[in-house]
Amino acid sequence: MSRVSVPCHVKGTVALQVGDVRTSQGRPGVLVIDVTFPSVAPFELQEIMFKNYYTAFLSIRVRQHTSTHTPAKWVTCLRDYCLMPDPHSEEGAQEYVSLFKHQSPSMTFPKWLSHPVSCEQPAPLIEGLPDPSRVSSEVQQMWALTEMIRASHTSTRIGRFDVDGCYDLNLLSYT
Amino acid sequence: MASLQRPEIKLESLKEDIKEFFKISGWEKKLQNAVYSELSVFPLPSHPAAPPEHLKEPLVYMRKAQGSWEKRILKSLNSMCTELSIPLARKRPVGEQKELLNKWNEMGTDEPDLSLFRPVYAPKDFLEVLINLRNPNYENGDSLSFRTHLGLIQVPLKVKDIPELKEFFVELGLTTGQLGIDDSTQVPPELFENEHVRIGQKVLAEQDSAAAQQYIRQGSPTALRAELWALILNISSQPEDILYYEQLKTNVIQHDLLVDSLIYKDVKLTASNDDYYFVFEDYLYQVLLCFSRDPSVLGHFAYNSASPPKSYIRGKLGLEEYAVFYPPNGVIPFHGFSMYVAPLCFLYHEPSKLYQIFREMYVRFFFRLHSISSHPSGIVSLCLLFETLLQTYLPQLFYHLREIGAQPLRISFKWMVRAFSGYLATDQLLLLWDRILGYNSLEILAVLAAAVFAFRAVNLMEVTSLAAAEAVLADLSTLKVMPLLQIFLFATVT
Repeated sequence: MSRVSVPCHVKGTVALQVGDVRTSQGRPGVLVIDVTFPSVAPFELQEIMFKNYYTAFLSIRVRQHTSTHTPAKWVTCLRDYCLMPDPHSEEGAQEYVSLFKHQSPSMTFPKWLSHPVSCEQPAPLIEGLPDPSRVSSEVQQMWALTEMIRASHTSTRIGRFDVDGCYDLNLLSYT
Repeated sequence: MASLQRPEIKLESLKEDIKEFFKISGWEKKLQNAVYSELSVFPLPSHPAAPPEHLKEPLVYMRKAQGSWEKRILKSLNSMCTELSIPLARKRPVGEQKELLNKWNEMGTDEPDLSLFRPVYAPKDFLEVLINLRNPNYENGDSLSFRTHLGLIQVPLKVKDIPELKEFFVELGLTTGQLGIDDSTQVPPELFENEHVRIGQKVLAEQDSAAAQQYIRQGSPTALRAELWALILNISSQPEDILYYEQLKTNVIQHDLLVDSLIYKDVKLTASNDDYYFVFEDYLYQVLLCFSRDPSVLGHFAYNSASPPKSYIRGKLGLEEYAVFYPPNGVIPFHGFSMYVAPLCFLYHEPSKLYQIFREMYVRFFFRLHSISSHPSGIVSLCLLFETLLQTYLPQLFYHLREIGAQPLRISFKWMVRAFSGYLATDQLLLLWDRILGYNSLEILAVLAAAVFAFRAVNLMEVTSLAAAEAVLADLSTLKVMPLLQIFLFATVT
């Protein structure tokens, strides 16, 4: 089963504020990012991947369409998932994060196909033991090869830093 | 492979027989040690989407700061090059090669004119860069507030507090025997020392790196130290290692590097002037000149925030197939660099083994002391740890020193950058470096620095200037590190 990235539209962040009060001093600690999926066929979401930038906790809510008759409702997939163990220090501040399907509590989400992962059939056992004389000749060949390598003197120069014997340099480069 | 020729080797039991052979021949242990070594050195596998630079250093602003600092160093080296009209590298004429080969074991007798050379940078230049580090996402405010750091380091890295340090360094506790404390002349050796030596010999007989690392947390007996360090660092002098060192020596003979003069100058200024280390002057050249030419060191840049300087073969500027690193190992030495090697000369006398040990110590530990990163053992974290410990547990002292213009870090920085080499008596330094290996961390340097301030707190409270504070802390050669550490961590009433 190959994985592909799903095209999505990530909107700009919106700060959550209480009421209509907008102050320049009080900086809200909660920002909301809307992600929409422009009309795609139903897909099985496996993984959400992103790079953090100083977000301490993450919650993900999903708007579900169960059927055409009932109105869509919001469901919380993830609540206060910790990305930074100590929000006042740098730990986790700029890390790459992956969230997997199994991390959110089980929920029926029709867009996510509910086919269980098919159990793979174990590879068929090779019948009987390999032919001993064939294996022993292969082992002999392997041994002969190691003896050859041990006997030969390598001609490659170890620790090369020059180019064809030349190390006559310009100045150091800034790029 | 020779044993597989024997007729008693059966096909059905081949897998088990090979496993048994590994055990008996000691190869299983060697493989385990090699794996353990890799785990100790390389960072944990990270997110698949993380690019290589993220592995070097995850924080963008730190990477940028390191990049700017490197650019400054390159400019400095380039101007030295052009001002003195000395090439970065040149092939030695055959006569000169012969001459150098003849005096390979006594390069210290050379007295080249180094007056025009200056170190590329000194620790205090580097400290200024660290003081100016800022996280663009961190609001400090211009005015002093509860959010401003009182020390010099202004970036909010996570550092351990004393309860966490007590847990991390649990083997240094009051109820555990220590070399450096419980082997002093007043303590009967039957209480701890004899048994500890016996265990050390057993660990060496088993050739188990992980066990050695655990054991050395309580210090290493002098007689066993060289072997224990080699075991922990997974160094064994194989013929190919000696051959590799000889190849590096050939590179030194054939090519002369500008960096060599910096090394000569550094050794002459530091180690040669030190009562303990001047006898090792020749060894230092033999190690450091080879080190500069060792491309295998380039591998550590995968997890070092620094990057090796690049250059092009003359006349081939911009052509990638003629791009090279300079120096070949990518490390430009700074003032005091040779002090990383000097203490090792007490333990290893065979040049290729001394070389291997130093190289491994560098790519595991020392590189972190002069590159800008957020790693817990990086110099930035060590500085912050030192300042935080002092502020938290000796607030009066910290405040007093700050008031008189003697920010404590200005004094302790040079100790930490050199891992205390050249400041402590050698037996004490080796006991300290035992613990660096044992805990696979440099944090002990910051703890010791704070412990030294705590020890001299009474005198420091009376000084009224930075110069006077420096004088109180100028001579550390009489200090006993283990009691200081133990008292600071486990016996200080807070």
